[in-house]
Amino acid sequence: MKVTDVRDVPFGEWSATVLAVRAEGFTFFDWLSAVDQTDAETDAGFDLVCHLIDVGAPGEGRGLRSVLLRTRAADGVAVPSLTAVFAGAAWHERETHEMFGIGFDGFDDGTGLGLRPLLLPDGFEGTPLRKSFMLAARASKPWPGAKEPGEGHESTKAPGRRRVQAPGVPSPEWGPR
Amino acid sequence: MTASGQGGGSGHAVDLPLPVLRPVDPDPSMGVVGEHAPKPIRVVLNWGRRYSLWVFNFGLACCAIEFIAASMGRHDFIRLGVIPFAPGPRQADLMVVSGTVTDKMAPAIRRLYDQMPEPKYVISFGACSNSGGPYWDSYSVTKGVDQIVPVDVYVPGCPPRPEALLHGIIRLQEQIANERLSSQKLRRKYAGTRVADAGDLRRPLVGKPGPRREARSGQAASAPRDGGGA
Repeated sequence: MKVTDVRDVPFGEWSATVLAVRAEGFTFFDWLSAVDQTDAETDAGFDLVCHLIDVGAPGEGRGLRSVLLRTRAADGVAVPSLTAVFAGAAWHERETHEMFGIGFDGFDDGTGLGLRPLLLPDGFEGTPLRKSFMLAARASKPWPGAKEPGEGHESTKAPGRRRVQAPGVPSPEWGPR
Repeated sequence: MTASGQGGGSGHAVDLPLPVLRPVDPDPSMGVVGEHAPKPIRVVLNWGRRYSLWVFNFGLACCAIEFIAASMGRHDFIRLGVIPFAPGPRQADLMVVSGTVTDKMAPAIRRLYDQMPEPKYVISFGACSNSGGPYWDSYSVTKGVDQIVPVDVYVPGCPPRPEALLHGIIRLQEQIANERLSSQKLRRKYAGTRVADAGDLRRPLVGKPGPRREARSGQAASAPRDGGGA
């Protein structure tokens, strides 16, 4: 599904906007997640993204109408929960909480247990989908082969291919080697 | 011939005592006969074991599809004596871990491996269960199933073709044929890995979730539902 309708929402109007958009007919809650934008130039934080679909009427062209709502939350600021608007948002908010460490104000999934881990194994520490999360596996257990293009063979070592600098990849001096 | 159970004598509920658990032996033992059998007998015992491998498929990802393909008509590993569809790990001799092992799934693999009777064998099928494969970098993927259970044969590939699994099975059967099942060797094989405790395998059933709160806090904002929600 190609999303054409993307609406940027001011942070303070997040749950009110979702409620209003639901009243417009977008009654199907598809998913909610976040994007780590802590390295953005301006207004660093997390993009909270929510996708809603109108299953009642077909849009122009083919397929259903859908809308992508997006708001920018500063790091450490709790976001208003959507569980009162869409009960099904509870799983998504739990996942977003454990993956990004974003809090949700007023989270209620009917159990009273709050934002507890959903997918991660017991005892997992950290928020793995943040860019600051270090992929410690590279340091603790070496991969038996070449990780990047150009590694592993002497003959192809020379070409000036820039090494991948993805977030979370520890530098060579990092960790117990 | 009636299908309904009309057999006599099953009317009463008998209060049977709980079974007495055998104390846990930290060292797996094969018994006197298996250990001190003369060579011809050992050859026969190994021959019987290698061509009757009840397999238990721990299918976790796309590799499981290749495993299923290997069990079907075209490749048909039953002709090698590998019998799929073991009723459960307690009836299986061989576990094939095919797919991506995650840290969340690892305790379940260990638990089912512990439930298998000795002697037991493990084939690690595919790059993911060998070493983590393409997900080796991930925060959630175990870097090889050999971190949890001892592995006898590794089958490389992503995913391996069914022929590769057949080759791995033949390699395992060669190992079994040359095997001398002494307690000493078994101990060496399982050294470093925990032997199952009876308590681990008899955990109670998972309880049902707690009661839902009755009144959903009067907010009419909750999504409209079809009738009969309560």
